[in-house]
Amino acid sequence: MRQALIEAVDEGLLTLGESGREAVYFHLKNTYFLKKEDFPDRPQAFDEALRKIFGVGAEVIERSVVKKLYSKLEIDFIEKKNYGFANYISDAARVANK
Amino acid sequence: MLAAYKTSIVLLTGLLLLYAFQGYYPEFMPFFSEAFLPLIAGAAVISSGFSLEKYWRRAKERFSVVWLFFTVGLFMWFVGETIWAGYALILSVEIPYPSVADVFRLSGYVPFFVALYLYVRTFGSALSRKTLAISSTITAVSVILVSAALIAPTTQAETELVTMIVDLAYPVLDLVLLSVSALGLLVFLKGDLGKSWALISAGILLNVFGDVLFSYTVSRGTYYAGHPVDLLFDFAYVFFLLAFYVHVKEL
Repeated sequence: MRQALIEAVDEGLLTLGESGREAVYFHLKNTYFLKKEDFPDRPQAFDEALRKIFGVGAEVIERSVVKKLYSKLEIDFIEKKNYGFANYISDAARVANK
Repeated sequence: MLAAYKTSIVLLTGLLLLYAFQGYYPEFMPFFSEAFLPLIAGAAVISSGFSLEKYWRRAKERFSVVWLFFTVGLFMWFVGETIWAGYALILSVEIPYPSVADVFRLSGYVPFFVALYLYVRTFGSALSRKTLAISSTITAVSVILVSAALIAPTTQAETELVTMIVDLAYPVLDLVLLSVSALGLLVFLKGDLGKSWALISAGILLNVFGDVLFSYTVSRGTYYAGHPVDLLFDFAYVFFLLAFYVHVKEL
């Protein structure tokens, strides 16, 4: 699950292209003290940091990350209204740990 | 970053004072207004160029293409401003209107639009259909209002058809850019990138007012080099310059 989430974030951030992804990682690390390896343990912090950078635009990146993660874990992705990023991640973790 | 904001405020205040008290140095203002526009446009190209240098990877990557188009668009505007200044300051002739400068300026709208569109499209799904519909309606109404406001004075002035089209093209194209940048602003408003998008939108809005007033004053025969309307274009370039600088700093 951890590795799948790190890869999903990596691929999800490609929405911005490689340069955009690098810039986001740099910004997360230097401004929000979040490293790639921290994402599985701190999805809420990742969500908040992305929203501080992109505003509601963060939803697009997060949706992409969640879809990649669910696909990697072979879980059907069903979009729910007003369902936060961290909730999708904890749902995935629950299914993966079954 | 604070230093960049402070520098910009000092620059904008200085420009405002310079135009406000131009009665004291009437011979200097035509020279200044013609010479400053290409300088500040060039500075905006450099700022955008730094963004391109940071974000460029390859031509197939959308984010790279966005910054390439921003820079190309601003560069074409810079060339347009330089040609315009060249007519006035080097050739010392009456500037033809429309001229080659207008070809570059109008062409610059295409890459600038593509850049805004591609950027906003990446995040477009964050916007509701209702927001998109409202934005489209506001744009359409604004285009109609601006066109209606400008058609009457330009036709009364018995201007040629080409001149009339160019007169209308600037504000209408500005409004098209504004409609896309406003969507970007809505997407990023609550984030750090919102500052950059607010500055881009403000720059475009200043161009809308500037181009409407320019067309109006030209058609009324009241425009002169150093007219306060030029200040709006100067401000717009300062805003673009700052917007790209802020974007690089925020992301």
